[in-house]
Amino acid sequence: MVYHLVVNGEGHDISASPMCSLSRVLRERLHLTGTKLACGEGFCGSCSVLVDGNIVPSCLVSIARAQGHEIDTIEALTAGHPTVSAIAAAFVEDDVVQCGMCFPGMLVAIRALLSRNPKPTRSELVDGLTGNLCRCTGYARLVDSAIGVIDNIASVETAK
Amino acid sequence: MSVGENRARRDGADKVTGRTRFTIDTYPENALHAALRRADLAAGRILTIDTARAEAVPGVRAVITARDVTGYEGLGVRDRQLFARDMVRYFGEPLAAVAADTIEIAEYACSLIDVEIEEIEPVVRMSDALKEGARLIHPDWQQYDQTEQGKRAGNVAWEATVVRGDTASQFAREDVTVVEGTYTVGRQNQAYFEPRVSIATYEDGRYTITTSTQVPWAVRSTVAELLEVPESSVRVIVPPVGGAFGGKFEAALETFAAALAERTRRPVRIANSRQDEMLTAPARDNAEIRIRSAIDPGHRIVAREATVLMDAGAYSGEQGFLTAMTAYTLGGVYELGSVRLVSQAVYTNTPPTGAFRSCNGAYNMFALEMHTRDISDRLGVDVDEFRRRNAIRDGSINAIGQPMDGDILIPMLDRMTALRHQTPRPRGGDVIDGVLPDGRLYGRATVFGAWFVLVGPSACTVNLNPDGSATVVTSGVEIGSGSMVQSIPQIVAQSLGIDPDHVTVRAADTDSGGYDAGVGGGRTTVSLGGASTAACEEVRKKAIVVAADLLEAAPEDLTYADGTVEVTGVPGMGVSVTEIARHAQKRFGPISGSGAFNREGVQRLPGCIAGHMVDGIEMPIYAVHDCEIAIDGDTGHIEVLAYRTVQDVGRAINPRAIGGQIQGGIVQGLGYAIHEEITIDGRGRIEQTGFEGYRLPGVKDSVAVSIDLFEGAPSYGPFGAKGAGEIPIVAVAAAIASAVAEATGKTVQQIPLTPPRVWRLINDCEPEVTLDWISKSWRDNVIGDADTLERDAGVFP
Repeated sequence: MVYHLVVNGEGHDISASPMCSLSRVLRERLHLTGTKLACGEGFCGSCSVLVDGNIVPSCLVSIARAQGHEIDTIEALTAGHPTVSAIAAAFVEDDVVQCGMCFPGMLVAIRALLSRNPKPTRSELVDGLTGNLCRCTGYARLVDSAIGVIDNIASVETAK
Repeated sequence: MSVGENRARRDGADKVTGRTRFTIDTYPENALHAALRRADLAAGRILTIDTARAEAVPGVRAVITARDVTGYEGLGVRDRQLFARDMVRYFGEPLAAVAADTIEIAEYACSLIDVEIEEIEPVVRMSDALKEGARLIHPDWQQYDQTEQGKRAGNVAWEATVVRGDTASQFAREDVTVVEGTYTVGRQNQAYFEPRVSIATYEDGRYTITTSTQVPWAVRSTVAELLEVPESSVRVIVPPVGGAFGGKFEAALETFAAALAERTRRPVRIANSRQDEMLTAPARDNAEIRIRSAIDPGHRIVAREATVLMDAGAYSGEQGFLTAMTAYTLGGVYELGSVRLVSQAVYTNTPPTGAFRSCNGAYNMFALEMHTRDISDRLGVDVDEFRRRNAIRDGSINAIGQPMDGDILIPMLDRMTALRHQTPRPRGGDVIDGVLPDGRLYGRATVFGAWFVLVGPSACTVNLNPDGSATVVTSGVEIGSGSMVQSIPQIVAQSLGIDPDHVTVRAADTDSGGYDAGVGGGRTTVSLGGASTAACEEVRKKAIVVAADLLEAAPEDLTYADGTVEVTGVPGMGVSVTEIARHAQKRFGPISGSGAFNREGVQRLPGCIAGHMVDGIEMPIYAVHDCEIAIDGDTGHIEVLAYRTVQDVGRAINPRAIGGQIQGGIVQGLGYAIHEEITIDGRGRIEQTGFEGYRLPGVKDSVAVSIDLFEGAPSYGPFGAKGAGEIPIVAVAAAIASAVAEATGKTVQQIPLTPPRVWRLINDCEPEVTLDWISKSWRDNVIGDADTLERDAGVFP
């Protein structure tokens, strides 16, 4: 079957079997390997993408189901969003990343959270990251780093 | 100064945005995809493996089995082949590999391989494997090639012992208190997020393998052993690795890819799924431990005996090597008047286990510190007081008779007391009679941890480029720890007096970097760092000669400092490293330096160890951990309220990066201590098949760790550094279990402390761990001849 997918605003015609997962299509056919794949069963959050703005594990979405929806991946999600870009920069500056396999998914989750709730509290941020596992970092520093950016933006806005 | 600076990672930006290409992100043009047919039972005699139907599938390019790859590999004992040949020994063991145009075709073809196996009752538990008359997992064990000195027999794949002093006569004293303990722990899966994956090509008679590994040179030799080809015909390249934690400290899928690439003359890609990893990752071994100690009236440990059974699974893998670590992880923090230790790697019909961050230290410290608690309880003394009295200090000798240098542990305990006051528990409320205001039980504990630097050989070349930058060529691998993007560039920059941003580190390639024992064991900063500083030393010497030519001065009148060479005593009269590099290019040719590092072990007591495969287990590293927990008595759920650590780092090359290793290692340890549970059913199958059943720590399981880096302990590492990434996990299970014991008043003999187990402890229905199959007598447990071991150690009973 040939499917028409709109990924990061660009249309693609892809021939695949209907049950082929979106994560495989993104990674193997469209070379969008920023979508990482760690568990393949929807439990780790590494392969998170936005489908019509909602966060989903791309390993559990078939290409047939993805057709007709707007799909956004990490490759397009940081650049266009000042807070997410600032958090990505803070992750580097604060030295919170280690192996790096889970961070793209973390940023997708943060982007999804911020679109629902632009100024999350620390506990709301933590709630927003419960679907994202990380084996290296032990989380605390990345939460500190992200909430630092969010609080900073909030305080700048208050000052205005 | 770049040493001591909190430099960010150069790979950070690409990692957070997903642009880093791990091996798993590589799908070469024209590559074939390989799949494995694995055994779906744990023990059996192979009658037939018929690949005809698989080979007939369109798109299948090659099918290989034990007929095609006949070599053996193993560390110390060559007991393993690439495919099961006559016998299946574990659930998931490879029987055949298929390379095909797509992964779907390869998997389909695998399913068409006709396999006939006569099932045998699997030997799943170590207690069964060690029974009199137990079926041998390897009936031909005596025929295997043994490359290291050590004792093995039947289902005991390897034995390491320590004998120092006459424990028997100490235990027989009338004035000693004898305390015994038995402990058992389950497996822990590394759960690195990038699964093991390899891509191989075969050209000009050589195999080129791109792979996710910590040990490019060990992969090179293992592939060569299995394929029975010269090691020089194998080239190993390692892109950034998406997590490893010890699980990639041995070869994995590389040989399948290499053999299939040779057959097909096409690139071959093979990757594990998460299910494959849950089934076959070389997890931290499950273990059973018995300890006995004799304590004299002065509360000194006059004798200690311990038996540690480590489940190696179906092949010895790294476990033979890891048995030696008990000497340091069980025998490294307390002064012992006399000691006998035996660690055995035991064959079972289960997936082979391997190395995982701090290896047997993570459970030996649990057993040791629970035992320490029991001793203090029996003596009626404060456990912290007992610890201080018996801790290793300057001039102490450790279990194997090595003299210890420096007072480290007791000052670290003092620093922990201070840290506890500086970082009060942020939540929970006041404790009254061991209970928090919300009714939960409260527990606190402080424990010791010990690891060491697994030194081993490293090589490094440093090229000084005409732009004044340096290129570092090694076989070091960046696995996420920052060793190759922070510590090595900072060390080289410091040595040459240049900016770390001007230091490029080449990705590991065995065709360009010299031999390296691998990234792990806390060795990278010390050994690769040591090789790097040696290489820089040569660069500096050459630079002085070139500068002498430039300045028309005598080399002996010149000094290299801060990236310039100056006339000694005349500041400002000098030339920069860039000018030197350019001048060298013109006059003498480019400057480069090469360096190497290794270290022999500090002298041990003669004859006190047997079966230890390496001398180079070296340089102790210590940690003190402290935690406060709350336990919900109704559910058994543990909440960690506060966690603190004082870690011995020698000198912190990048303190913040070390903090990241500590935070991550401790949360991994919380998983191990509390909820990461692997169970193996009666048929030898691991029951947790993915992240649904295997509970990794999530963001809500995390606690922000309060950290104090203890600097200044003796170290021959570069700038006084020690390894910092391995040890953070070592004492977490010890700390949590001790706090649970404190909170509940019960003895903890088993981890993980899942809510059901904690609930059973509280309600007195957790079965006692008796380990009846392990004798109370060390002599009964050794397979070596006890008399000979004693005689070799100079003990004459």
